[in-house]
Amino acid sequence: MSSLKEYFSTDWAAMTATDWVGTILTVVIFILMVIAYVYAYRPGNKAKLEERKYLVDDDERLDSGDKNGG
Amino acid sequence: MDARAEQKYNLSVVRWFAVMAIVYLVVGASVGVYIASELAWPVLNFDIPQLTFGRLRPLHTNAVIFAFGGCTLMATAFYSVQRTCGVRLWSDKLAWFVFWGWNAIIVSAVITLPLGLTQGKEYAELEWPIDIAIAVVWLAYTFNFIMTIFNRKSSHIYVSNWFFLSMMVMITYLHVVNSLSIPVGLFKSYSIFSGVQDAMIQWWWGHNAVGFYLTAGFLGIMYYFVPKQANRPVYSYRLSVIHFWALTFGYVWLGAHHLQYTALPDWTGSLGAAVSLAMIIPSWGGAINGMMTLSGAWDKLRTDYTLRFLIMSLAFYAMSTFEGPVMSIKTVNALSHYTDWTIGHVHSGALGWVAMVGAGALYHLITRCFHTEMYSTKLVNVHFWFFTIGTVIYIVAMWVSGIMQGLMWRAYDEYGTLVYTFAESVEAMHPYYAMRAVGGAVFLTGAVIMLYNVLMTVKKSAAEGSVRQAQTAAVGA
Repeated sequence: MSSLKEYFSTDWAAMTATDWVGTILTVVIFILMVIAYVYAYRPGNKAKLEERKYLVDDDERLDSGDKNGG
Repeated sequence: MDARAEQKYNLSVVRWFAVMAIVYLVVGASVGVYIASELAWPVLNFDIPQLTFGRLRPLHTNAVIFAFGGCTLMATAFYSVQRTCGVRLWSDKLAWFVFWGWNAIIVSAVITLPLGLTQGKEYAELEWPIDIAIAVVWLAYTFNFIMTIFNRKSSHIYVSNWFFLSMMVMITYLHVVNSLSIPVGLFKSYSIFSGVQDAMIQWWWGHNAVGFYLTAGFLGIMYYFVPKQANRPVYSYRLSVIHFWALTFGYVWLGAHHLQYTALPDWTGSLGAAVSLAMIIPSWGGAINGMMTLSGAWDKLRTDYTLRFLIMSLAFYAMSTFEGPVMSIKTVNALSHYTDWTIGHVHSGALGWVAMVGAGALYHLITRCFHTEMYSTKLVNVHFWFFTIGTVIYIVAMWVSGIMQGLMWRAYDEYGTLVYTFAESVEAMHPYYAMRAVGGAVFLTGAVIMLYNVLMTVKKSAAEGSVRQAQTAAVGA
């Protein structure tokens, strides 16, 4: 590989339907992952997400609390 | 509280799955030690075809992965989904169908594999009628789990259930596609794929059996049982969300790294390796999340032997999820591929991560399902050390053996001819194969101790009548 330009060159005309499906899927998944990171680490969502971790401690309370609709 | 849990939830099927998981651990590890010994001392073949390495190796992998691993996943998923959703399993009958169906599949594997009835696909050896049975039972397990979540009383689906669900959905998809074949008789079929496509589909399945069955499923175990045993919430729920999505999106790409330097297009292997390296981030995030759950309470490890299993498993998880991506890099793979290094890597994950976290979870739920303390907590600690020492001996032997193999196979003299014959490399492996058998035997001893301790706990529970009392005690509203 002599240069970066050569490394990243693509013969677009040779792309098959399978290539396009794979390419689009890759880009979509990448964007979804970025959304997931932003959602999880947005300061505004911290309290909402972190309070969910207490659900596992609540499971001894069989007839009260979150396990029974609040 | 025990009576309430006993009467509200279906713990009977969990008890049966838990005990059978440990029985299968002993069986699977015993076969493993035997075949490891055959490699060191081939006389143990006794010229009996059913006892040869080629016949027994798939029996070993199926017993530890699908019998021990499967029963552990079914016990823990059925236990934790009820607890985290606040409802009984959607269908008791379907849960028992899964129990008997899964065990019937295991028995059929024990019969067919030593007879040489196999599709020859790694981790997917069982012939087509058994493959269909696996799909039916697995779907019943999945459906019961999903319907239990659907009926939940909790406002949120806890992260452990997300991991279990991801395993169930992906394993259904992977198993069905990889097992597509043309039957030519009751016990013979041919894959519908051929050539390099067959190899790619096989390793798409093969690596995701590791990624979803032995990783996502067991991470579901980790996210429920580590906080429960430590009696503290998981360190970061946000990190668990990222861990889940990154793992689920990422793992399906990795299979191609098993086929470096083969007929598979070069870019495919490079892509597999690149995504493998990227997977270090969520994997380590998850391991750190589990370990940091103990932040401020590390002293618990001194006295809580069950917690030791769970935390040690995370150390091995972190180690093997670093080692795997490194081995997928082409330059490293050129040395490691086809050598015992791969076997060492697999076992650092299987013994150190899967068996350790499984044992910790089983100890946790056995005391709660049988409503009594363990027969001997000292034996839990002895078991822990046998598992840890056995695993370390095993993987060190395979590391040394594997790297030595790779170096011997690539050694050339000044005339460009190989320095060593293949037979010379086999001879050089002998001390390490013996060492591996010893490590496996130490690990197996730990499993036997666990089985003894659990059976004595069941006996103690029966003598105390603790399960019957919990089933019949009057429970206040």
